[in-house]
Amino acid sequence: MKKWLSLTMVAALMSTVVACSGGNNKPEASSSPSASASQPSASNAESPSASAEQPAADEAGWKSDTSPITFDWYLNFAWFPNKWGVDPTSQYITKKTGVSLNLVVPAGNENEKLNAMIAANQLPDFITLGWWEEGVKKMIEGGLVESLTDLADQYDPYFFKVADGAKLSWYAQPDGKTYVYPNASSSPADFKNFGTQFTSNQTFVVRKDMYEAIGSPDMRTPEGFLNALKMAKEKFPEVNGQPLIPIGFHEFGEDGNYSFFDVGQDSSYLSHYLALPREKEGKLYDRLTDPEYVRWLKTFRQANQDGLISKDVFVDKRAQMEEKIAQGRYFAMLYQRTDFAAQQNVLYAKDPNSVYIAVDGPANTNLDAPTLAGPAISGWTVTLISKNVKDKERAIKFLSYLISEEGQKDMYLGEKGVSYDTIDGKDQFKPEALNLMNTDRSAFDKQYGASHTFWMLMDTNMQLQWQPPAVEPFKQLEDWTKGKTESYSQYDLINPPATSKEGINAKKIATEWGKALPKLLLAKSEADFDQTFNDFIAKRDKTGFAELMAYRQTKYEENVKKLAEFLK
Amino acid sequence: MEANAEVQVPARKPDNRRRTSLLRKFYGQRYLQVMALLGVAWMLLFHYAPMYGIVIAFKQYIGIGEIKNAPWVGWEHFKAIFEDDMMFQVIRNTLGISLLKLLIGFPIPIVFALFLNELRSLRFNRIVQTITYLPHFLSWVILGGILISWLADVGVVNDVLMGLGLIKEPIFYLSEPQYFWAIVIASDIWKEFGWSAIIYIAAIASISPELYEAATIDGAGRFQRMRYVTLPSIKGTISILFILAVGSILNSNFDQILVLKNQVNESMSSVIDIYVYEIGIKQGRFSYSAAVGLVKGLIALFLLLLANSFSKRMNQSSLF
Repeated sequence: MKKWLSLTMVAALMSTVVACSGGNNKPEASSSPSASASQPSASNAESPSASAEQPAADEAGWKSDTSPITFDWYLNFAWFPNKWGVDPTSQYITKKTGVSLNLVVPAGNENEKLNAMIAANQLPDFITLGWWEEGVKKMIEGGLVESLTDLADQYDPYFFKVADGAKLSWYAQPDGKTYVYPNASSSPADFKNFGTQFTSNQTFVVRKDMYEAIGSPDMRTPEGFLNALKMAKEKFPEVNGQPLIPIGFHEFGEDGNYSFFDVGQDSSYLSHYLALPREKEGKLYDRLTDPEYVRWLKTFRQANQDGLISKDVFVDKRAQMEEKIAQGRYFAMLYQRTDFAAQQNVLYAKDPNSVYIAVDGPANTNLDAPTLAGPAISGWTVTLISKNVKDKERAIKFLSYLISEEGQKDMYLGEKGVSYDTIDGKDQFKPEALNLMNTDRSAFDKQYGASHTFWMLMDTNMQLQWQPPAVEPFKQLEDWTKGKTESYSQYDLINPPATSKEGINAKKIATEWGKALPKLLLAKSEADFDQTFNDFIAKRDKTGFAELMAYRQTKYEENVKKLAEFLK
Repeated sequence: MEANAEVQVPARKPDNRRRTSLLRKFYGQRYLQVMALLGVAWMLLFHYAPMYGIVIAFKQYIGIGEIKNAPWVGWEHFKAIFEDDMMFQVIRNTLGISLLKLLIGFPIPIVFALFLNELRSLRFNRIVQTITYLPHFLSWVILGGILISWLADVGVVNDVLMGLGLIKEPIFYLSEPQYFWAIVIASDIWKEFGWSAIIYIAAIASISPELYEAATIDGAGRFQRMRYVTLPSIKGTISILFILAVGSILNSNFDQILVLKNQVNESMSSVIDIYVYEIGIKQGRFSYSAAVGLVKGLIALFLLLLANSFSKRMNQSSLF
């Protein structure tokens, strides 16, 4: 008896071995049930609606079926803190459309989670990630995601009515299909309509009270800059008993640092402050070696030598930085203003004078105004629908709803009477909601969930009509960037795929820079700096930099053409 | 079946008889063997079956689709390893950290167990043992966070050293590459020595008290008893543990280093496992990182065999 029991156990174990390896070899097998499950519903929907298809193009497709369904939606942002269905706005949308979301957020490194899901072919229904991420290309080229345009053709022509054609063709693949839809994106037409209201996230900020106490010095020249940091450190050696950090930056990562230069993403706040051009006579310009840029890098090196750069800034991650910002421990920061909105609120509540304000920062020798990155057609994140999706039809219809004006309004203002009302003939937030939003954003997200708490498909231009005017402490930061922004759309989407030869070299160059940058800033002398810098340039050239630039140049030229088309 | 075998026994050579008796023995232990088979099944399932994945080191696999459909590329990834600028640094850090850990960290639990054994008060003995092995149960994620704040500019280490007047300016230990190895080694030893000592304490406990009594009668003092009775008695345990430690020399420090590493101390902190993780899991170059991992595995196997034969020659005790 016992023998047979154990034997069956062994047999059971062995069969799991077989089952597992069988499963590994056939990823289609696991996806086929869901495909077949969605098949009947697809054919059901098609047969009755096929005849009545024509008028449907103008009608919101999602209204035809509002039975309950739950989609898994992956957000490639570990910091995303909110859950669907907790707040009245998401509850309202679920009630209205029948769609409920199970938001999945990585617990640790985002790429790790995404790569694991791709390799296991276990992508959830929706995926939202930064447009620059390698995963986007990978999922499209690997055939793991549905083409949105095909889905729309088949199930929901309404999609083409609400989607921006320019955005669709910007993201179109060589086969003419589009697999992604961006958020926070501005097409050339949007630039015409909303251009004057555009702001940038890239700011150079100082603590108001300290800056005024040292006489509001000009920080545009290297001398003025170093001097201001020095004065601040002398006057305020400590903040609440802890040492002052004279200047803070974005976090140092393996590809560099947004504040200085992130070579992986080709993004640099500093070079925007120095108003460096990104192309010269139609050729992409290498800003990293521009004398103005090097001059300022050397200024930061000097700052470190003078003890004006604290070692914290090289080590701290965003969580530690946020804590220190909330304590007001930085004097100055070259930092994205939207990344410390919550901390700014904390400071404002304690003392309106201790907040951070935007001032003129590092500038080139001509003291030109900065050319900050404004909105671009690539937007911020893109959303994809995977081939594993539970119900293709409901998915594309829900997507259309979200990007339609109605969906945008629901996401932005929430439910009428709960978070907004028609006040003075205009739909706007109720005063108590507005007040909470301006003072404690994370509480607002939980309590109201409006104002694009779920920003996966937010249209930052459409929302302008409902958006309340900015208030302090954010208004100053926002206003400062107005008129200093530029669109860099044509420089997006120019990187080679990561597994291509150019792509591997690009990553090598980026990690090389990620290592060189702290060394440059920490260099003991200018000679050491030059040595490290020249070593990096030599290594970069050796690692196929010329081919990489040639690849980017071709892509860039294609982009310029594409954008010109949109304006015709 | 059995009867058949028995009939054949007299006709065949003695080694065949041995085989038959082995079968018979096996049959006699069949219930026990089934239990062992479960273990074998577990090994096959979780250790051997995944080995199939090693083939991606010889293929261009990008993480999508089936492994068997990926194109073969031969030794290309292995050639790339030798052209990789990072490899020298990564191997230097791995070997440097591990060898120093072994050199310093291996004897400490032995010495600790010897001294603990000499304590008269059993109660005190227990307390010390418990306190020293408790840190073992803290995950590196937690301990790493604690260490980061201890070693910060306003942390306890700087406070103490500045209070003692040993340093004037606070030092950011984790952003000075030259301190990294020391931090990693010291914290690892601190975390693990109490735990590692348990095996030695158990081995010492099994030494017959008569040996000590005889030694005492012969006039041996405390240190002499330690040296001539205790140490030779646990020699076998020490050498087995040493062989195991050498075998795992290349993969002992992933989580610890992952939490303590940053962009500034990177030159001293990137080790093979971290490199494989970054290239493979984060950048998605699965094939290349599988090749690096395979090379690492081969080096580890070589080191293990080396330690094993060394130990066999030195004191006749070995794993196999």
